[in-house]
Amino acid sequence: MSDRTTPTWADDSELHDEYAYGQQYSQADQQQYGHTDDSGRRAAQRESLRQYAQQAQTRPQMQPAHSPDQDQAGGYQPGYFTETGSWRFDVHGRTSEYTDQQAYDTFAPFDPYASYTAVEPEPAPTAAEPEPQKPGYTLPPVAESSWAVDTRRSKLLGRGVLLCILLVQAGLSLRLTGTAFQDEALYIASGHYELANLLHGTKLPVDFAAYFSGHPKLYPVLAGAVDSQFGLAGVRVVSLLFMLGATTLLYSLTRRLFNLRAALGAAALFSVLQSTMVLGNFATYDAAAIFLLGLSAWAVVRTDRMKAMAVLLAAPPAALAFGVKYASGLYLPTLVVLAVITAHRHRGVRALGRGVVLGTGIVVLLGIGYYFSGPLGGISSTTTDRAKGTDTAATMLQHSAEWGGLVFLAALGGTIAYVLRARMGEMPWIGGETSGRWRRAALGVLLTGTALLAPAYQIHLHTEISLYKHVGFGLFFAAPLAGLGMARLVGPHFRHPQLGILLYVVTLVFGMVQAQRAYSFPDSTQMTSYLRTVVDKKGSYLAEEQEVPAYYLRDKTNWTQWQNTYFMDYRGKDGKQYTGPDAFRQAVRDGKFDVIVMHGDVSPVTYEAVKEGLKNNSHYRLAAVFPYTTSSGEHAYRIWVKR
Amino acid sequence: MSLSVRHVRALRPVRALAAVLLAGALLAGCSTFSDEGRAQYERGQGEEPAATGTAAATESAKPEPPYDVRPLLEPKKKYLGLAADGAPAKMTSVEDFARRAGKKPNLLEFYSAWGDQYEQQLVQNAWDYGAVAFIAWEPFKTSMKDIASGKEDAYIHEYAQSVKELNLPVAISFGHEMNGFWYPWGTKKTTAAQFTAAYKHIHDIFDDEGATQVIWVWSPNVTHPMPNVKLKPYWPGDDYVDWVGVIGYYGATGPNTYQSLYGPTMTEIRTFTKKPFIIAETAAQAGERKPADIKSLFQGTAERDDVIGFVWFNFDKETDWRINSGPLSEKTFKEQAANPDFGFDVTKP
Repeated sequence: MSDRTTPTWADDSELHDEYAYGQQYSQADQQQYGHTDDSGRRAAQRESLRQYAQQAQTRPQMQPAHSPDQDQAGGYQPGYFTETGSWRFDVHGRTSEYTDQQAYDTFAPFDPYASYTAVEPEPAPTAAEPEPQKPGYTLPPVAESSWAVDTRRSKLLGRGVLLCILLVQAGLSLRLTGTAFQDEALYIASGHYELANLLHGTKLPVDFAAYFSGHPKLYPVLAGAVDSQFGLAGVRVVSLLFMLGATTLLYSLTRRLFNLRAALGAAALFSVLQSTMVLGNFATYDAAAIFLLGLSAWAVVRTDRMKAMAVLLAAPPAALAFGVKYASGLYLPTLVVLAVITAHRHRGVRALGRGVVLGTGIVVLLGIGYYFSGPLGGISSTTTDRAKGTDTAATMLQHSAEWGGLVFLAALGGTIAYVLRARMGEMPWIGGETSGRWRRAALGVLLTGTALLAPAYQIHLHTEISLYKHVGFGLFFAAPLAGLGMARLVGPHFRHPQLGILLYVVTLVFGMVQAQRAYSFPDSTQMTSYLRTVVDKKGSYLAEEQEVPAYYLRDKTNWTQWQNTYFMDYRGKDGKQYTGPDAFRQAVRDGKFDVIVMHGDVSPVTYEAVKEGLKNNSHYRLAAVFPYTTSSGEHAYRIWVKR
Repeated sequence: MSLSVRHVRALRPVRALAAVLLAGALLAGCSTFSDEGRAQYERGQGEEPAATGTAAATESAKPEPPYDVRPLLEPKKKYLGLAADGAPAKMTSVEDFARRAGKKPNLLEFYSAWGDQYEQQLVQNAWDYGAVAFIAWEPFKTSMKDIASGKEDAYIHEYAQSVKELNLPVAISFGHEMNGFWYPWGTKKTTAAQFTAAYKHIHDIFDDEGATQVIWVWSPNVTHPMPNVKLKPYWPGDDYVDWVGVIGYYGATGPNTYQSLYGPTMTEIRTFTKKPFIIAETAAQAGERKPADIKSLFQGTAERDDVIGFVWFNFDKETDWRINSGPLSEKTFKEQAANPDFGFDVTKP
């Protein structure tokens, strides 16, 4: 049939052997039809006509006297008897549309269409087919591709765009500048002490593990080591590399979960989030933790078609992420559930096995880690049992919405679109299996819902501390679906590129503005350079955000010389024991400190107490005032020194 | 076209998604791009929102740390101070004094009326000469009440900023002789509470501005002309004052020994503060006793550890207070000033 000349309308299903004539022909007849000589062929055609006629005559509605037009109205009739007794083959009046053909009787035996229609074999009933033998292997479902099939060229193109995204991300992060923030100073400084403790067994000035929100022997040590070589800028560049790595992993895992276009969308949206920009230039645990969580998520997705045990590869980075920053623990369940949902080799209960394997792996690794690290008071004091704050849920929700609302909405849209249709239908000829609706829905809800974990948990704790960073953790998980949402927004064949561009640009603008606002802390340059002239190895110094001068002046002072403005117990010269603000007030009255550095921005209550202590106090003299501007307003470092 | 139905259906969620995203952006935008949000952004960039930014400019142009005046507060040696005609705008009278005294003064006092700007050039001149400037700030055109209530804040702020900008140490004595009756800020027109309130208010503004270069002088007159006026009510507090600048002249009449002239006042002051004394204005009336008075001043000051020096009022006003009013006085002054206790390098006290 390769040389068929049938017009396309003849393919119309309505024409296909409507009256099951074909069933009357044996397979042999058909074969014969194609290969016998002319006489045999004619005999076959005659036989065909005879059967046609017989069939037609048995039909009650068949009225040979009717005009062709009336016949048409009667329904689907392949033809009718002419006055001469021959068979006029007419299908839906198509042959009779040509007026000149009306004059001729068309005889079925010579009608190529009729013969074609007549001999079209009915496809063999499926039941008759032998049961297909189950192959010894299963082919993975063809991933939805974009830009035709994901060829080497499209891969290259995708990587090129990813590179541009990473460059933009790096630029946006590096554009933020400032002296060390309190937390950065704390971690880097502690890193130096931890490093000395590891290398030379030097005693730690304080038990950092008791109040750190991550293990002090992990990130701080790295930060301290980098700081010794490259300074604060170097440590921040390490964070940038972590964040760039996270974006790359996000691209890779989204590409595997969905497709290239969604991957680029996910990377693009994630790269311009406020939290991404800030953390990319911020020497704290967060960038490392996001990278490790990303690595673990990537490993979960990458091993989706391997044996269940392969998912164990995702356990070490997940456990390490928890060690680096305890708050990462919030996202470990997401990883475990993700392992279940992406268990493509299995269905139902057996898919759970993959999650169990990963969960067990993480727990075992954490258990081993805990056994060797000893007590970690920091876990409860900073993460699980953090002191309840006074921030209201409404404020936190509003801020979270500002920081990540747009990407969250995009992810929500992506989820809905994904649940409704697994593919955009850009290339209908590319078929293949897709995940079922429940699995799609589960994946969408899991990843999108993870974005809500941090705000929900912090609302539970009533504290907004670090929430601007923590939203970024959840948004990493929501980003694949946001990328998918962006791809769907753009539509098949780039129908609405402007919508995708709009989403990206608006996210970018929000991100830049919010990052500028978040990345705004006191400029301590003048303060530390002045302190450098008044401190020594013996003095006692009270400083708000004492980590900052303690870090910058670690060559001239020891960690323990710096008193923080949060907690203090003090036995006054009058012999009484004081705590809280009273302790600060009395200590200042007694002239306990050689230098006092305050700005009242972080510890307003202590600041008031210190000011009261300075009233009528001949021990101290205001030595310097260094104003600085942050996004929250104008403030100033005030430095009092002993006269 | 059988595709058209599918096409429209496919568009519907896209439109809904676009609408939701736009609404979300608008909602979030309301706060991110509000006036407050904009101000925060500008401040985050280190700019002052909607301001000319002059203060910020001067601030950034001055990276050097503020002058640490602490070593000047209680130096090991004594100040040899001088108030002379035209100084420190012109230094001729100072140089003439230095030649006659045989020693350069290291504290130069001059008077500044309320409303005058901070004389940066004069302070700089004094510093260049090797002396700390000492300004007697006389609030003639205002009242203590107005100052304390904040009516003069703009001027005080400007003055303080100017002090900070110059970044040189300066001693400021505000409302001197407040325990006397002869000035508008004296006992007749002002209460002690009003005086201390004004004094503290000025000091607080200077602290706000970070003008920490000021050595704060509280300068009462010696008490014997008005023995009934108690000093303690006029005392602003230890945290407001660096020097107690007692003013007392050796007159032809009245007390004429160091002990009788300053002793009672100093004793009274010691009941409420341990701040160091400086004789903020003194001289001896021309006459036979003048050389003896000069000797008394030098020796009395040298004997007391808590007196860090004096300022000689070298004017010919009402009477000839100058050291060269007579050859013997000049000779005595030179002899006494030769005492190594007096005079030191103010840059290395």
